[in-house]
Amino acid sequence: MDLTSFVQSLLNGLSIGSVYAIFALGYTLVFSILGIINFAHAAVFTLGAYFTYALVGGAVGFNGLLANKALPFGLPFALALILGSVLAGLVAVIIEVLAFRPLRAKRADPLLTLVSSLGVAILITNLIQYLVGAEPYSFPSNTYEGLPPAINFGTPNSPIPIRSAQVVIFGVSVVILVILTFIINYTQFGKALRAVAEDATTASLLGINTDFYILLAFFLSGFLGGVAGTLVGSSVTIAGPYFGISFGLKGLAVIVLGGLGSIPGAVAGGLVIGLAESFLPAELSSYRDAVAFAVLFIVLLIRPRGLLGRTQIQKV
Amino acid sequence: MQANAWSLGLRTDVTVTVNIRRRFKMFKMFRRVRLGSITALAIGAMLLVACGGELATAIPGAPTIEPTTAAGIATTVSGAADTAVAAGNTAVSGAGTVISEAATALPTTVAGAATSIAGALGSGPIPIGIGVAQTGAVALLGQEEVTGAQVAEKFFNDKGGVNGTQIKLIFQDTAGDEAGAINAFQSLINQGNVVGIVGPTLSQQAFSADPIADRAHVPVLGPSNTAKGIPQIGDYIARVSAPVAVVAPNAIDAALGINPNIKNVVVLYAQDDAFSKSETGTFQDTVKAKGLNLTQVLTFSTKDTDFQKQATDTISQKPDLVIVSGLAQDGGNLVKQLRDLGYKGLIIGGNGLNTANVFKVCQAQCDGLIIAEAYSPEANTDMNSQFKEAMKAKQGDKPPSQFNAQAFTGVQVFVEALKSLDNKSKISGMSLADLRTALNKEILAGKYDTPLGSISFTPEGEINQAKFYVAQIKMNPDGTTGTFTYIK
Repeated sequence: MDLTSFVQSLLNGLSIGSVYAIFALGYTLVFSILGIINFAHAAVFTLGAYFTYALVGGAVGFNGLLANKALPFGLPFALALILGSVLAGLVAVIIEVLAFRPLRAKRADPLLTLVSSLGVAILITNLIQYLVGAEPYSFPSNTYEGLPPAINFGTPNSPIPIRSAQVVIFGVSVVILVILTFIINYTQFGKALRAVAEDATTASLLGINTDFYILLAFFLSGFLGGVAGTLVGSSVTIAGPYFGISFGLKGLAVIVLGGLGSIPGAVAGGLVIGLAESFLPAELSSYRDAVAFAVLFIVLLIRPRGLLGRTQIQKV
Repeated sequence: MQANAWSLGLRTDVTVTVNIRRRFKMFKMFRRVRLGSITALAIGAMLLVACGGELATAIPGAPTIEPTTAAGIATTVSGAADTAVAAGNTAVSGAGTVISEAATALPTTVAGAATSIAGALGSGPIPIGIGVAQTGAVALLGQEEVTGAQVAEKFFNDKGGVNGTQIKLIFQDTAGDEAGAINAFQSLINQGNVVGIVGPTLSQQAFSADPIADRAHVPVLGPSNTAKGIPQIGDYIARVSAPVAVVAPNAIDAALGINPNIKNVVVLYAQDDAFSKSETGTFQDTVKAKGLNLTQVLTFSTKDTDFQKQATDTISQKPDLVIVSGLAQDGGNLVKQLRDLGYKGLIIGGNGLNTANVFKVCQAQCDGLIIAEAYSPEANTDMNSQFKEAMKAKQGDKPPSQFNAQAFTGVQVFVEALKSLDNKSKISGMSLADLRTALNKEILAGKYDTPLGSISFTPEGEINQAKFYVAQIKMNPDGTTGTFTYIK
């Protein structure tokens, strides 16, 4: 492997790995608090991308109920990314209130909650198709204003071109990861959230409003999903209402690999899978997903609790 | 409760407390029942949207899937959105699998239904099945086929249908996979009691679903199945889509016309799609036959979105021509990423990229993409003008695509074959089984003047198409719309 393709693979791996990481963190936040996998997260990921697309002024295609409609204004990409992700976060909050909380109140089996979240995912996916059709949506080509299609990381004589989209993805993901780490570890809010995750009952006895923190966890999770969806959608395309599904599976692989419920684990898992995928020879790249899950399988054989997961202590 | 009673200053002797407790229990029970029914309703509604939404309401204004019952009551008129609800069994109608299983379990009922349908054919419209992908990854292409078929239904019914009898299309969603296609075909054959089927969307699906129709002696016209071996599946299988081996080489000739100095060629194809595999074989053979240098063959998956690896590897080979066989989304993305990373040479796209939907994927970077086509909106024939007029009423200024035209042609072949069969012996007098067999013979014998140009079939069911086209994409300055400019 020559230097050019090594650097390209490395940067591509970091870029896609970091977006896996922020997506998987959405799963992790909910899992660490409720102990369940929120399958609707993949649908929120998709929704986030559509929200941002609409906010930058993108028009709906000729299929679906909203055919040919567009917002009367178009926001700059950075602002649309934040707003679209906030909307995705609010959808996650609605999902918690409608699909998770009632079941929790009735002390339903976690499996039922899982199925309920799967139902919500299907519902959202179909709703998107009903409203805007199954066609792909691409962000306008001048989305990252001023940036060329590719940035040269080498010299003019031996160029190492990297697509600007990848650089933007990596930059935004790192910023989000740093902010999130700060919030969780060093703020009152983060401490309360961790307390609820540790033991909800004790936390509520200590005066922490657990329901509120669960809502906030869902909001953050949806926000992260929305950011990830937008970044992927702007780099490639929003490939239709189903585009979150394969990503959702990858996200599950990432959190299991990193260790269920572990935040640094989700980041490590994302980067490992991203890099493994990008260093795969091009002839095999259509087996990328198989590689992701093979890595997962091997790691689990050696460390069943994942890379950074903690062993569960069974109390009798 | 007791605390409440105290605070309200009520007497709380034993009787009162018991009464209050009983009432509270009743209230709780009531609440439980009410909540239960609300939850049940909500779950029902969710299921309805999840199943029905995916199948029946996939495209607003698109045909609903008919609420066929076990008794085999004919069908629903396409486009009648309220029929499914009126029949009161929408949930069942959405679940194609459930119906088809029920049907196989009750062969006698279905057989009985077949006779009655045949008898009823004289008065009611003639059902023709459209089994294409309305949902799933290939929904893009399938939706274009749905539009083409709907336009054909209106077009031919306005012209008097089959000698005065209207046709009616029955749509069944195949989704993008083999299982979906099998279910849809079984449903159309056993519940829809169709005289024939236009479908499925992908060659990959045709290899699994067509044998079912062939065994049931139901004529099938493949609207977009261009892989090798489709008409050979059986006597009842034909196609209106020219095989890739005939269409694809035209694109390489056109590329050599634009740049006679082409030497190095890189070929990429989606290795998880039967059609793309078949197409790339033809491309690679043609490249070698023309004496060009095939420097590398790379693969990808139709589900991929990140193609930087393939793009980087391709560019490192310094090719003069890149040939991509994939579907609109993945192929378009690959083209975009190749251009983003600085590839300047010519690109040929396979048949999967032959749709205006690719504009939205690669945007300004689509410009210059060369595509061999079985249909060109610029073809100057009377039938094509009529077709374009009819399509304009449906979708405005968006030019019709090859998939629109091929689905339209599929319906047209059925209508014209039915007409000429009816002229020989009245089809209203035939049983469904006899009609299907006679119709198949009639289809293969006929000649048709279609939007694709003049077509006929070999005895095996392969299409003979008189003319092919090569187009080059020209994108407009806005970067989101463009046209296929006819170059050959």
